[in-house]
Amino acid sequence: MRFKSTLLVIAIGAGIIGSAFAAEADKAAWPQHTPDGQPKVEGFWLTVVYGMGCLQDPLAGVGCLKEGEEPGRGNRSRPKSASRIIDPPDGEIPYQPWARTKQQYYLSNYFEPTRPEFLDPQQLCLPLGPVRQLTWHDVHMLQYPGYVIFEHEGGHVFRLIPLDNRPHIGANLKLWMGDSRGHWEGNTLVVDVANNNSKGRLSRAGDFADDKLHVTERFEFLDADHMRYRAVFDDPSVYTRPWTFGFDMKRAIFGAENPTKDDAHYEQWEEACYEGMQPVDYSLRSERGEQK
Amino acid sequence: MKKILYSSILIVAASPLFAQIPRTADGKPDLSGIWQALNTANVDIQDHAAQKGAPAGQSVVEGNEIPYQPWALAKKKDNYANRATLDPENKCYLPGVPRVTYIGLPFQIFQRPDLVTVLYEHAHANRYIYTNGTPHPKGPIEWWMGDSRGRWDGDTLVVDNVHFNDQTWFDHAGNFHSENLHVVERYSLLDRDHIDYRVTIEDPKVFTRPWNIDMVLYRHVEKNFQLLEYECYGFDLEQYYP
Repeated sequence: MRFKSTLLVIAIGAGIIGSAFAAEADKAAWPQHTPDGQPKVEGFWLTVVYGMGCLQDPLAGVGCLKEGEEPGRGNRSRPKSASRIIDPPDGEIPYQPWARTKQQYYLSNYFEPTRPEFLDPQQLCLPLGPVRQLTWHDVHMLQYPGYVIFEHEGGHVFRLIPLDNRPHIGANLKLWMGDSRGHWEGNTLVVDVANNNSKGRLSRAGDFADDKLHVTERFEFLDADHMRYRAVFDDPSVYTRPWTFGFDMKRAIFGAENPTKDDAHYEQWEEACYEGMQPVDYSLRSERGEQK
Repeated sequence: MKKILYSSILIVAASPLFAQIPRTADGKPDLSGIWQALNTANVDIQDHAAQKGAPAGQSVVEGNEIPYQPWALAKKKDNYANRATLDPENKCYLPGVPRVTYIGLPFQIFQRPDLVTVLYEHAHANRYIYTNGTPHPKGPIEWWMGDSRGRWDGDTLVVDNVHFNDQTWFDHAGNFHSENLHVVERYSLLDRDHIDYRVTIEDPKVFTRPWNIDMVLYRHVEKNFQLLEYECYGFDLEQYYP
């Protein structure tokens, strides 16, 4: 009866052929700058701690359930991983009471989903939204004049971040990946994300936002290989106060078993996810708990 | 003699065509921008009369005829008869190359000497067109969007594409290919706002000879125009995630 989420995904041709490193020379002169004056941060980045089961302990199982409580994966014998909820200090999303109830309802129906809306949209290979998408596989940050582009390996989703102070698109036009506007403050890329449809959830545990969500992201590049990510979630319709989603990222090292710094020819290959999807009913259980 | 040479350079430099093509710092034509095909090739790349929901359109296939092998022509006809259910676009799968270019939505080209990045509004499709002299990875590989390696032939960006699967169609009319598909795209700026997009299709498993598609791509010049999203719902997901 385990939820066979792996069956939902056929990752076709996710390929890794090398490794990506910042060269020693780059480190010495860090940061170099692009012709249009951006700190040069291009390359492949990855969360230091991987996992989407719960925000309070990302390496734990779905919902941070304790051993014996969780029908899914999870290992509580290892040390707790760093919470992705940086603020408030108690490490919990400051949901309004109705919203907490809704999140718990989603979570309680995660393992034996009887209705399509209980499925995390990620399991249907839909975009995860601008923030959670950064926690799934690697992201290739590309810099072109006036733009930063995020090419996410997970499900071939991209995000385009113009740096020219243009206004956001109309407020009623909502997008899975939101509408991003960025600027550089020293070595920190600050991105304002509006127009979120918030259909992607924030974890497998049913954490969610509403389409009134406004996110302010700060990508603070600490050196050539390390970055600190913070995203302030502001949505008075769901939360009692703004809160901060955060994690550290590192320059990704892929490829050969013993990669060397000369082996910097990693290419992001196609990860077609949606293309391997079974119809939604395939993932559901009947009210009696049987796979349909 | 020198005088004549200088005069010739001046004449070329002052000609409207030369002046109208934007160029990057390294002198290559600058394809950067948001582009879109304005035709009905996604309905049918060959001549076609109007049907409900599908306007009439002229062929983008040079000579109109596609040189199918006999068995393949029969399959194409079967595809056409069953296109409402069989067209992979209906399932929102990645549309392959060249269909992604004329599927009806805008795409944005970013260009630098070693890499051309193309982002498509349709299903968040994106392509890395490496222009750094690297070869295709060793196959066999079957990707929806293939593997793209580009080079400049004068003022034309020539993109060689291989490693496709056999799941995509060229249009809604059932024109198809095998996993042996080889696509060569040629992007040539006609002026600042128009690209001649010429494509050679080769697939010895399906066709008797290579054939060509040719169309014009138009630059979006509207103020603040940008790519949006088309996350199409192959499984009627809107009712579950309203």
